[in-house]
Amino acid sequence: MNTLANIALRNLTRQKKRTVLLGSAIAFGVMIVTLINGFAGAFSANVSENFADLMAGHVFISGTEKGADDEELSVIRDDSALTAAVEASGAPVRYVTRRSSFSGTLIFEGKKLRTNIDGADLSKETFLRDRLLLKEGSWDSMSDENALILSEKIASRLNVGVGDLILVQLETVTGQANVGEFRLAGVSYDAGIFGQMISYANLGYVNRLIGLAPDEYQTMGVMLDGLRHTEAAADAIYGRLYGGVQLFERGAKDEDGAVTPFQALMRQQKKESWQGVKYRLFTINEVLSQIEQIVAALDTTAGVILVVLFVIIMVGITNTFSMVMFERIGEIGTMRALGVRRGGVRSMFLYEALFLALGGAVAGIALALVAMGVISLFDFGMDSPAFIIMKNGHLSFFLPPLRAVGNVLIIAALTLVAVASPAGKAAKLTPAEALRTQK
Amino acid sequence: MGIVELENVRKIYPLGKVQVEAVKGVSFCIEKGDFISIAGPSGSGKTTILNMVGLVDQPTEGEVFLDGKPTSKLNDAELTRLRHETLGFIFQSFNLIPVLNVWENIEFPLLLGKTRVGKDEKKEWIDHLIEEVGLSEWRKHKPNELSGGQRQRVAIARALVTRPQIVLADEPTANLDSATGEQILELMKKINRELETTFIFSTHDARIVDIADHIIRLRDGLVTENRRRGEEAPAACQGESARA
Ligand SMILES: Nc1ncnc2c1ncn2[C@@H]1O[C@H](COP(=O)(O)OP(=O)(O)OP(=O)(O)O)[C@@H](O)[C@H]1O
Ligand SMILES: [Mg+2]
Repeated sequence: MNTLANIALRNLTRQKKRTVLLGSAIAFGVMIVTLINGFAGAFSANVSENFADLMAGHVFISGTEKGADDEELSVIRDDSALTAAVEASGAPVRYVTRRSSFSGTLIFEGKKLRTNIDGADLSKETFLRDRLLLKEGSWDSMSDENALILSEKIASRLNVGVGDLILVQLETVTGQANVGEFRLAGVSYDAGIFGQMISYANLGYVNRLIGLAPDEYQTMGVMLDGLRHTEAAADAIYGRLYGGVQLFERGAKDEDGAVTPFQALMRQQKKESWQGVKYRLFTINEVLSQIEQIVAALDTTAGVILVVLFVIIMVGITNTFSMVMFERIGEIGTMRALGVRRGGVRSMFLYEALFLALGGAVAGIALALVAMGVISLFDFGMDSPAFIIMKNGHLSFFLPPLRAVGNVLIIAALTLVAVASPAGKAAKLTPAEALRTQK
Repeated sequence: MGIVELENVRKIYPLGKVQVEAVKGVSFCIEKGDFISIAGPSGSGKTTILNMVGLVDQPTEGEVFLDGKPTSKLNDAELTRLRHETLGFIFQSFNLIPVLNVWENIEFPLLLGKTRVGKDEKKEWIDHLIEEVGLSEWRKHKPNELSGGQRQRVAIARALVTRPQIVLADEPTANLDSATGEQILELMKKINRELETTFIFSTHDARIVDIADHIIRLRDGLVTENRRRGEEAPAACQGESARA
């Protein structure tokens, strides 16, 4: 090992308290930032996965029919081609869901509320029972044809209880006004801000309300073995569908500034006209493409915190090393006399600071990893308001390795900047000055 | 010409608004292999002169010749290399590197500069020096575990490790009791004879100059006496008068 680097390393052990203090400051800063990075790293996957559960799929196929006067009718009439394509795609499919949905007004004793209601075949979508915990009522009462499950917030706003009859006003797929009646079968815990968006009813009843046949529906959801299979599976299924059925282009970009590929697709659909049912295939990623912006914002925040914390720590480093330089002025003089060059003195200080920074940073990352491990042990439950950002009710983290390395490099660079001035002063001393100033 | 030669050397220190003339025009010449004492009371300019001979400081005026070569035009890197190659240093307060043990302190100068010494050869030489200064039992100890006299012995070994032509020692015994100081001087004298290394040491103690081959006495930045042992006339090197 380089002699001066070796001495620099040993010099760190001379004032242990000081080294530990500065090192801890660095470690603390790195820990905070690493935690945010780790959170952001898992955020996107968690939110998407939870949404996939709520929306019942990773890859979706919906059908649209153009009516006589160009109005659009959302329906899948015969899904044999779709089912065949999904099967033939070889994608790791866990199950396929079939849903219809509408947005309507619920009315109970003079109180009105607009909400989205999903019709699902609950005899098949058993996973919903695990995902959506009921506070009141039971899933078993869903065997009633017109049963309805509302989230806690909606139920309390309507002031309804299990067993109450609720009136619903809506439009059918062809735009006709219609009314129906639901019986409240259960009240679910609010699964975060997103959970309350959807209320659940039986597919058959919803179809009847919106004017579809019992075996028709609107959206097929393909639930895969995990988020990571999404794009490959979507490509494979699309490939199988292509040529067999009428298809919208996938994720077509739009010149007039659509924010998401999803929006782009919707606009494209408006312009065209066709006969029969035309299908579009989209993925959870397209629906949630704004999540990436949230992740980017989180990482930016982490970056800003990193820099702010480090500007503060840098002041400490600069001051400490100015002090260190005066304490060791005799040694600097001695070394210079014995033949160490100016650059050698400088690099000795830089090495020392660098070792300190690296030690602190590595300790910080290690602490953060331990903290992540401990935090992810806590079970917040599926009914936690923050459910959507969690993984099975646990906070989870994923630290992208490159980001961790990047943080270490930033800290190393900032530390070198902080110590550059005292190191420069030490290097600039003539040996005579340094020897004379020693105590 | 001698191994060290000073020619009309002046050193002026700026001290706030005033200037301190620490050395006021000094010339002398030192023969290779001599044991030289620079003596004088406090403030007479001993350290200043040794610093200039040691190339850790440069004269305001005049020239310092080392082995016949002028040094005033050299830049910092060249001075550093020349120091490393030709000079050894012993300091009043020992100035060992606290984080290195005895062996490593002595080895340190060998790890600087370009010349690489063979591993076995190096080890043998350092062990020899450690034995020479009587610290064989202490090689793994850190400086703060040693007495003053022991530390100065380490410093002597360190000064010799690069086999320099000249060893400079600024009041090497000032921080030691008189008995230990005498031992240190005797050790230096012994090495001076054995290795034929030129030793220049400063002292403000008029009594311990007897051991020297050549005495240069200073007062107020001027040479008051410059004489080799047993010679009547002021010491001069061959060719010096011719050049003057
Ligand atoms: N860097 C400096 N700035 C100002 N004055 C200095 C400086 N170095 C030395 N002096 C002055 O120059 C004079 C000679 O100092 P020097 O240290 O050479 O004396 P010395 O003989 O070594 O004394 P001592 O026995 O006390 O070590 C003194 O008056 C001292 O105060
Ligand atoms: Mg002095």
